Amino acid sequence: MRLLSRKHTEILVKILCIVVTIVVISPLLWIIGKVIYTGLPAWNWNFFTTIIGPPESSTSGIGPAIEGTFIMNGIACLFGIPLGIFTGIYLAEYAHDSIFASVIRTAVESMAGVPSLIMGLFAAALIVENLNRNQPTALAGSFALGLMIIPLVARATEESMRVVSNDIREAAIALGIPKWRRTLQIVVGIASGGIISGALLAFARISGETAPLLFTAYFNDFWPTGVNQAMASLQVYIYNNALQPYSAAIANAWGAALLLILIVLGINIIVRIFIRPKYQEGF
Amino acid sequence: MTTTTRKTSHFFNLQDTLFKYFLIACSVLVVALLIAIFYFLYQDALPAISYNGWNILTGMTWNTNLGVFGALPVILGTLATGGIATLIAIPLSLAIAIFYTEYTPHRFRLPLRVFIDLLAAVPSIVYGFWALQVLLPIAKINVMLPLVTYLGFIPIFSGPAEGASIFLAIIILTIMVIPIITAISIEILAKTPIALKEGMTSLGATKWETVRHVGLPFARLGIFAGVILGLGRALGETMAVTLIIGNTFNWPFHSVSLFSTGDTVTSWITNEFPEAVGLDAASLFELALILLIITLAVNLIARTIINRVSKGRFS
Amino acid sequence: METKLDVQNLNAWFHKKQALKNINIKIPEKQVTAIIGPSGCGKSTFVRCINRMHELSPGARVEGSIVMDGLDIYGGIDAMDVRRRIGMVFQKPNPFPNMSVADNVVAGLRLAGGYKNEELDRITDDNLKEVGLWGEVKDELYKSGASLSGGQQQRLCIARALAMKPEVLLMDEPTSALDPLSTAKIEELVKKLKVDNTIVIVTHNVQQAARISDMVAFFYLGELIEFDETRVIFEKPTNQLTERYITGRFG
Repeated sequence: MRLLSRKHTEILVKILCIVVTIVVISPLLWIIGKVIYTGLPAWNWNFFTTIIGPPESSTSGIGPAIEGTFIMNGIACLFGIPLGIFTGIYLAEYAHDSIFASVIRTAVESMAGVPSLIMGLFAAALIVENLNRNQPTALAGSFALGLMIIPLVARATEESMRVVSNDIREAAIALGIPKWRRTLQIVVGIASGGIISGALLAFARISGETAPLLFTAYFNDFWPTGVNQAMASLQVYIYNNALQPYSAAIANAWGAALLLILIVLGINIIVRIFIRPKYQEGF
Repeated sequence: MTTTTRKTSHFFNLQDTLFKYFLIACSVLVVALLIAIFYFLYQDALPAISYNGWNILTGMTWNTNLGVFGALPVILGTLATGGIATLIAIPLSLAIAIFYTEYTPHRFRLPLRVFIDLLAAVPSIVYGFWALQVLLPIAKINVMLPLVTYLGFIPIFSGPAEGASIFLAIIILTIMVIPIITAISIEILAKTPIALKEGMTSLGATKWETVRHVGLPFARLGIFAGVILGLGRALGETMAVTLIIGNTFNWPFHSVSLFSTGDTVTSWITNEFPEAVGLDAASLFELALILLIITLAVNLIARTIINRVSKGRFS
Repeated sequence: METKLDVQNLNAWFHKKQALKNINIKIPEKQVTAIIGPSGCGKSTFVRCINRMHELSPGARVEGSIVMDGLDIYGGIDAMDVRRRIGMVFQKPNPFPNMSVADNVVAGLRLAGGYKNEELDRITDDNLKEVGLWGEVKDELYKSGASLSGGQQQRLCIARALAMKPEVLLMDEPTSALDPLSTAKIEELVKKLKVDNTIVIVTHNVQQAARISDMVAFFYLGELIEFDETRVIFEKPTNQLTERYITGRFG
């Protein structure tokens, strides 16, 4: 016995799906809206350029946090992106169905699944504890972030290179170009769009990661003067301020969140709308 | 045609070999780093492993002064919040995936896809901060307190409801897990062979009927993998949860209520670590190691399934 | 001959490209009408317009009317209702691998609902016998539909379409993916089925059209060039193009 005719079932399903989609997407819009609405008022020249003061002060800024985020991201990218790319190249071009290759692949996939907090604890144990005599250091924070970049970039690299058609490789072979050159200059060249997208998205991803920095770079109210010290970051700044009772602190946290969202979502939008579609096989 | 210097193939072989071994070295380094994660966590956890024995998993109290380190409440907190959030996320994600593949006109597909991916891209600290500042007060007044008033006799809905709660953690985790499951489901559903869909259509099936009888059965395994991946994410989530879960050992042994404050492994470690020394710190490392093993196991299961599916085996 | 499908001024597009230009044709009932023509002439598009599947392609557009038993298929009827009354068999056999052989046969009926299990079993048996599969699969009805050989799969698909008791059976190059033996079996089947069914079959194999059809429609570049009895088309075609195609003088 049917409750609803087939046609009505179809309409009902369609409506349900639309409703669910709207319900699920709305937090995104809500968050973005709220962050812009509450965060924008906090933005002023002072905000971006002053050091971080006591939480109750409304004249403190987030300058050091901005610089800190970029410094640590930069260092993380410095070693994370190349390592990721080379591993990705290996998996795409040189790995054959051997146990060795599957070990590498499993390791890369596993690394992608390691919770960011654990990466931070690892960096804390390895660097802060063992190498740095328990002194906070931004290097450890960068290290943890870099570790998170590696699997993301490796995956993007491998996928982008896999879709390069074999005809191109064969043409290069026929021209007598040695494999290393063939791979590096030609295939990577064609895959570069996908690789760059992957790197950008990885950058956006680590910009939002807080846990790896908590026990490595800790925090610092002042402008960075070197990398082997505690360093401020936007993420940890928000975290520190989130639980403060002072409205000034909360207001500043919103301002920081706005900047963070702008960077992270901005990169995502640019990559996904403008760069990716050219390199992806259709959605 | 220009003449090129003819280097001996021997030279090229050397370059090629060097490059190849360089790549291998990089890859091995990555494996080494992964192993190092285990190693260093293990090293720092060592004192606690023998000291705690099974108590770390079964003990219900964590008291630094008494030297008792039982983490059962937070382990349950992690499993419950992650598990329930994932369960709730499944039908929601499927609805979106079906909507995307069957009902969305082609020109709206990119925007929808971007929205889903942006949901996944929002930094977890922003999720947590927003949940704390915006969602918590609203949920407390409009959802939690009324439920306590009317359904409070049921233990899991009993008061008091302060706001920070397991409940809120579940909500925020659900939002974070949905894009993961949705993305994989879309990818898999899109791979349904057109011939089969046309077979259904030619029999007069509606789009939903086609999805239900051909699309979903085909995508079953891949969707399952996506669910497992989403679960892994939820289990490892830290920042979004820490700010709104209350950070106490209340749940579930003090109070079963979803509205009570509680903790997960990740938020517990985050809060305890700064001041922890000695066995306390070691036990935290032990907890971290346990979490690492669980999330990696979950991840590997998901990836194995995905590999099977992308090789064309759908069952 | 009674007309089953009265096609009037049928035009079809893929985006800006016009695939069918002003087709006017009266398909007779309980006969086999073969649609022939070189690749890209619009024969598949034509047939897919009949069961309203063309409009599912991106950028597809249809104008004109097809009247079946007094009702215009494009006149405001739900497309799905049209497809339930017109069956289709595709070039590559597409049985549902997640369903058993038996379930495949009655797949369409199950969707419609309202059939008791005994009825469905009977319909399964009847239709499998009708297509000559019963003897071959009667002990394996519960195996997956995809476990059969190519020729068997195609006959299964025909059974599946027939179970819906369609008013017209469309076949889009049903044997081009099959071996000669299976092809012969299906050609025999078509000749048997036409007693009770109106069949429109698209084929790129001119000899096949000569073997099994009663009427032949020759399409070229989206236009209907000639439509006549098979005998006439093959012995004394009116149009020069038709003659050239039949005799293989252009590919």
